[in-house]
Amino acid sequence: MSGGQTIVEKIVSRATNKRVKAGDLVQVLPIDKLYFNEVIAPPAILNFREDFESVFREVTSGSQKEIVVHNRGGKSRMKVFDPKRVCFVPDHTVPSCSVKVAQGVNLMKEFASEQGIKMYKEGDGIEHTVVTEEGFVRPGEIVVATDSHTDTVGAIGALGFGIGTTEAEYALAMGEIYDFFVPETYKFEISGDFQAGVSAKDLILHILGTLKEGGCSKRIAEYTGDTMRKMGMDGRFTMCNMSVEMSARTAVVNPDQITFDFMQDIVRRHPELATELNESMKGMKVMQSDPDAEFSTKMSLDASKIVPQVALPHSPANAKPASEVNDEINSVFIGSCTNARPSDLMEAARIIKGRKVHKNVNLLLIPASRLTYNWAMSEGILKIFSDAGANIESSNCGPCFGKHMGVLAPGDRCLSTSNRNYQGRMGSSDAFVYLSSPATAAASAIEGKIADPRKYYK
Amino acid sequence: MNSKIKGTVTVKFGDDINTDYIIPAYLLQEAWDKHFFAAYAFEKYYPDFPKICAANPYNDNIVVGGINFGCGSSREQAVYAIQYNNVKAVIAESFPDIFFRNSINNSFCVVKVSSTKEFQIGDNVEIDLEKLTVRRNGSDEEKIQMSDEERNLLIAGGRLGQIKERLRQRLLTAT
Repeated sequence: MSGGQTIVEKIVSRATNKRVKAGDLVQVLPIDKLYFNEVIAPPAILNFREDFESVFREVTSGSQKEIVVHNRGGKSRMKVFDPKRVCFVPDHTVPSCSVKVAQGVNLMKEFASEQGIKMYKEGDGIEHTVVTEEGFVRPGEIVVATDSHTDTVGAIGALGFGIGTTEAEYALAMGEIYDFFVPETYKFEISGDFQAGVSAKDLILHILGTLKEGGCSKRIAEYTGDTMRKMGMDGRFTMCNMSVEMSARTAVVNPDQITFDFMQDIVRRHPELATELNESMKGMKVMQSDPDAEFSTKMSLDASKIVPQVALPHSPANAKPASEVNDEINSVFIGSCTNARPSDLMEAARIIKGRKVHKNVNLLLIPASRLTYNWAMSEGILKIFSDAGANIESSNCGPCFGKHMGVLAPGDRCLSTSNRNYQGRMGSSDAFVYLSSPATAAASAIEGKIADPRKYYK
Repeated sequence: MNSKIKGTVTVKFGDDINTDYIIPAYLLQEAWDKHFFAAYAFEKYYPDFPKICAANPYNDNIVVGGINFGCGSSREQAVYAIQYNNVKAVIAESFPDIFFRNSINNSFCVVKVSSTKEFQIGDNVEIDLEKLTVRRNGSDEEKIQMSDEERNLLIAGGRLGQIKERLRQRLLTAT
């Protein structure tokens, strides 16, 4: 067969042992990894038990041969497809913010222990950050999870898809998803250097502003070009994370030396994973879009022309230069799976350092993971924020979706580094949420109004 | 599911209706029962939604949207929230994959047509999943954009039966 393949086509071809191209229907797509947060794990576990118990009972009691794996002490004879390829990350509202949330987390703990599934602890971090930082997800893998921001893992060259409760329940039993159309790829070729004070978040908000909420639907966003080659992992995570906001099926960055270094760092922290991670890194070189691969759509961008962006209420695609927005704010959130990794905290800290949060503003900082939290503590970054008058919480999703840690009242105006500012997303439907980079959020927290951060870099 | 669905348009939305609008995220962890979410459907965006659906004496609500209906998060509760308000189908110009797949998995009818501009509150709608057509107020038939696999799954009531058989075969082979 002639013609090159995109990284997406290569990854799906590898998984199915068949050369596929965009548009092909894959009836059964085997997955490499599956992870759950505490929002969807509880109903998925209950449905898994209810729907499949009879199958396990019938097969195990109807046959003389013993296939019961987990039947010790009368425990469940049901077994997930492969406990080593599943993990649980309680991250949305932990430490638990309600009785029902606490019950859900306990149900996950019980099921994880029964099945031999790794369950991270409350405060270990936000799922998409934890699974990449801890080496659970690897380049070239097909990953599904019960959250639309699973696209985040594309930053390391994996394909991550958000799925609902039912597909997750089936995947838990079978390690597969079904009737998967291989998506076409939308190629974003980005060149040039960012101005000081401009980062990946401004770039993705700019792209969103151009394409709008449905602009990448049915397609996978591939970010490439010399800007991407130079961009650190943290920026790549931000870009991939927000791709779902333009309805991309998922997003991906071709793995390179920066990805390799990121994975090597995991090996240093987790020597027990060295063999497996080194194996996946070997495959990285071939998991690249070919120069003659077919892309359904292309866009070229000059990163040096991008200025700090703010998405105005109530759409992430409502982008405007920060310098043109002077709206007063009374709340700033630096956190979430979009922008709470080390370089995000560093950017914000260099602006906050030695200054005070504006008297009208409540600034909340939530590092994306325990790893980042502890790093920020040892680097003195938490102290910089604390001295400035910020509130700092242990790692979790925080107020991003309006359930705890800073729910907004009518009339409140919040600038957030998260990914969604839909009406009512962070609390009252009469509140106003703006989205920006950590640098813009920091500058705005000091000034009490939305501010262009570039002046702090002069 | 019956392959012929008749209903009345009771709610019409514009483009880019996201799943946060359909069911706010703060509620998701508060119940494991699918029926819980119906009472809160569109709570922050169109709070009258449950009331309007309930006021239809025929319990045959049809919801109409524009492009990109159900965008945003992967929460399947968005499907339950609409479905359990006696909504028989959503007709829109496009659906993002996750919402579409979640709907089919719950045997909830999502119908993609080339334009919904003409649809109005009170319209009578007839959906024929065998023929993949939709008629509005007895008008000409319009083609529904749906693959045969998706249509068959929808009529079959999802794929649970299929998966159970697949699991059974796998467990038997493993012995």
